[in-house]
Amino acid sequence: MISAQNLTKAFGSRVAVDNLSFTVDKGDVVGFLGPNGAGKTTTIRMLTGYIPPTRGSATIAGYDIVKESKKARQQIGYMPESVPLYEDMRVSEFLKFRGKIKGLSGSHLKDRLGDVMEQCGLREVKRRLIKTLSKGFRQRVGLADALIHEPELLILDEPTNGLDPIQIRSIRSLIKDLAQERTVMVSTHILSEVELIANKVVIIDRGQIKAADKPANLVNNLRTAGSVLLETKGKIDTAPELLKALDHVKKVKDFGLKEGWNTYEVVVDAGTDARERIASLCLQENWQFRSLHRQGASLEDVFVELTRQD
Amino acid sequence: MKTLLPLIQKEFRSFWSSPLGWVLFAYTILMEGVCLSTAMKGLADTAIAENLVFVTFHSPNFWFFFLFLFPLITMRSFAEEEKSGTLECLLTTQIETWHLVFSKFIARILFYALLWTPGVFVFLSFGNITELPIPFIKEVLFTTHLYLFTLGAFFIALGCFASSLTSNQIIAGIVTIGLLILQYFLGFVTVIWGDQFAASDIFKLFSAQQHLTNACRGILDYAPLLLFSLLTLFTLLLTNHTVNYRRWKR
Repeated sequence: MISAQNLTKAFGSRVAVDNLSFTVDKGDVVGFLGPNGAGKTTTIRMLTGYIPPTRGSATIAGYDIVKESKKARQQIGYMPESVPLYEDMRVSEFLKFRGKIKGLSGSHLKDRLGDVMEQCGLREVKRRLIKTLSKGFRQRVGLADALIHEPELLILDEPTNGLDPIQIRSIRSLIKDLAQERTVMVSTHILSEVELIANKVVIIDRGQIKAADKPANLVNNLRTAGSVLLETKGKIDTAPELLKALDHVKKVKDFGLKEGWNTYEVVVDAGTDARERIASLCLQENWQFRSLHRQGASLEDVFVELTRQD
Repeated sequence: MKTLLPLIQKEFRSFWSSPLGWVLFAYTILMEGVCLSTAMKGLADTAIAENLVFVTFHSPNFWFFFLFLFPLITMRSFAEEEKSGTLECLLTTQIETWHLVFSKFIARILFYALLWTPGVFVFLSFGNITELPIPFIKEVLFTTHLYLFTLGAFFIALGCFASSLTSNQIIAGIVTIGLLILQYFLGFVTVIWGDQFAASDIFKLFSAQQHLTNACRGILDYAPLLLFSLLTLFTLLLTNHTVNYRRWKR
């Protein structure tokens, strides 16, 4: 659905996007991640035909974004970051206008208006002026606009930016529903959101791709160590040394006594599980233990590992 | 055309969905009324060998309100779209930049034309209302408004161009009025310096006041009509390039 080859955008001497190459298959839900200023919006603007690349190329559903820009743009439903809307228009009037400029007319337009308003939960506010809507509803209007011409690809730039937790949950569930029928690319830095909806993640930083894979693969391949949380009691003076002597244990952090139980974080090599060895040690040393919990790496760890500046 | 029409409709409606359109409409009626009543008083008090249309439009009052119309009509056109981000929404659909430039221009021309209709109606009903001999011929009304339309088209194109230079509509308005005042004073160059220098004909050609004077006397001169039409096209082309340039460099 999207194929970007060495996509580059330079503004004078500043290179905002540097040789970006990635593909998005039909039906994928892709999380496009990166810290602020990483080049996410610039990449999206190139893909949507708003700005041309300085070098490189990209295709949307087989159409070149520069040479066949109009056809490429027709395949995309795009919601920009700040969801710009015409404040003085009513919801239904705005969507009708957007449908018309996207080439819809007559009964098809009417049907699509009904469909998107139903899909995005806008029926109750269709007569309201856009300037009187809450941020959550504005976001829904933006989504309805992106969907009205039934695009094959939906590109959403920070769709939950500035929303409260309830609104975030509601928009996330809406995006999940929409993703069942089309390819979706979501730019965000809310990682929990991506873990919940995306089956592929592209991480960029300072204009360059740092990783592009399934979230699970990224987490598994993370170089960062995992850890095991142990709560134990008994004759434990030698516990840190004994734990550290186990295979694949890198470090033991002693958090001291909590509610009568000694708490340790046992840092282990990536991709290893030391719980069995720790449990055996506890039994061997006659330590009581009430907790032996593996703390796996998350997408957030992957993100921090790949994008940290130090 | 399928995408142009909704764009034009949206632009035209935006005048009436905010107070601006209504204020401009009232302002034009009021100021044209002031110019007309001043002209009628002048004709009643002094023997002037000119028609009523000439005396109405050939006055500083007219130019003052006329020039201030254009920044108000055009300053929002691109500046507001860019500031609010709706420009990005528009240009990532299947519409092209020239669709946007053309539709904004056409909608403003229609609005501008509408501003003059009450005045035309007042002139046409002059005889019925006053029961006096009509102090002008209808052809004068036609040539004057044809010229005002052509000049207005150029000034609107200039305003759209100024609006495409910035995302601040106040600055766009100031640039527009600056350009129009510059254009207005070009017409005075031959009055101040005489016409004994090589480029004087060019200054005369650009003199909006001189052409309006001719039009108000019923003279249909095609040269200024053609000149201002070409300048309008050129300015719209420049606006198209400016919109593209500004979005491509961001």
